[in-house]
Amino acid sequence: MTCSNIQERFVEYLTGQLSEKESEEIRAHVAECSDCRRELESLTEIWTKLGVLKEERPGDRLRTRFYSMLETYKLAEEEKIRKEREGLFSRLKNLWPRKPVFQFALTLGMLVLGLVIGNVWTVIPQQETVNTALADEVQTMRQTLAASLIDQGSASERLQGINMSYTLVDPDDKLLDKLLSTLNSDPSVNVRLAAVEALYLFHDHPKVKKGLIDSLSRQSSPMVQAALIDLMVSIRERRAVDALKSLLEQEDLNPEIKDRAEKGIQRLSF
Amino acid sequence: MESLSDSDIMENVRDGQVEKLAILFERHHVKIFNFFLRLTGSHDLSEDLVQDVFIRILKYRSSYEGKGRFTVWMYRVARNVHVDHLRKNKGTYNLEDQFEEPESEEDSPMHALEQKKDKELIQKALSQLPVKKREALILSRFQDMKYKEIAELFGCREGTIKASIHRAVKQLGEIYLELQGGVPS
Ligand SMILES: [Zn+2]
Repeated sequence: MTCSNIQERFVEYLTGQLSEKESEEIRAHVAECSDCRRELESLTEIWTKLGVLKEERPGDRLRTRFYSMLETYKLAEEEKIRKEREGLFSRLKNLWPRKPVFQFALTLGMLVLGLVIGNVWTVIPQQETVNTALADEVQTMRQTLAASLIDQGSASERLQGINMSYTLVDPDDKLLDKLLSTLNSDPSVNVRLAAVEALYLFHDHPKVKKGLIDSLSRQSSPMVQAALIDLMVSIRERRAVDALKSLLEQEDLNPEIKDRAEKGIQRLSF
Repeated sequence: MESLSDSDIMENVRDGQVEKLAILFERHHVKIFNFFLRLTGSHDLSEDLVQDVFIRILKYRSSYEGKGRFTVWMYRVARNVHVDHLRKNKGTYNLEDQFEEPESEEDSPMHALEQKKDKELIQKALSQLPVKKREALILSRFQDMKYKEIAELFGCREGTIKASIHRAVKQLGEIYLELQGGVPS
């Protein structure tokens, strides 16, 4: 192999893209050839030097801007579809005849036609319903987004999904189930804590209340236990007293949690 | 918890589930941000360019074919965003804006100062490389891209990329030495 063949592979050698055999070839060559050795040394030096350009974090504003852009885009798409529908409607209106006789005839004809196709065709929505439909659409979009983020592999994605669910007014059962199962089985403490916060917002839901009480016995992290106890106390959930009592029976319970649970029982028993 | 591949998600975005772009954003925005940061040296500008990348992904979502790695397609969009920016601004960067980031706390003030100088110098040297060489070098050094993928991204042969990155590193070394006040070998 010529020196230029060898030198061409130096960057691959540095990035570890070469096989063990190929790397060995490079090492064997530079051991013998001082030109190539010097070349590899100077490349390695600058390659290593580039390491001072460490990975940095963008500011929070980037995320905020992205999500508002995405939402605006989604709404604009909806608006486009609505306009298309309206356009169709106004074109139909232009076909309306001026003379009452024809109007009557047309109405009669339309009535018959309407009766025929009424079963097949869905009604064109009115303006107000369109507005609520739009608001619903935003909710649905956030809901889908939150649910799909919670299903992802990385903890930061799941956190983002939970954060997104904070903004929902009325999450559906599926999302609530997801939040509850995240609370019970997510490997990350931070994600579980975020789930407690999110579920607090929806504690009026009977399913959530029960899920939160049941979850007490499943938590092993003192941080999550503490968050759940505080939550029970702040929503004055008396049914949690039993769960708190059985928590106290757990062996090796963190003394701080023991204290907090006891106080919680006192406050809830009044 | 099973994760969908980037490509699957992008296909969903293309087919109308645009909200799923958020997943791709969460997965990649830090990487693209750093790609731009090393390319331009400016924190604020890099944030703007990342935003542009995702706007374009939405705008051109229907052109996504699902062939090859999603990241190759994404970096193609990123390169276009950068090139358009250069065209608009005739290649000037606000050098004042560079590296206002605080250094990590464990460093002593002396060490931090040295590191900051080093960083400025290497960034300055990088900025003197021709754009294409700079891009290829950054992609291979920092963005976990293989020669094969970079070649696909640039639309040229793998051998060409190999040679070009090699020359880029060499040239960067020379520029760096020059900036340091040394004599290029
Ligand atoms: Zn040699």
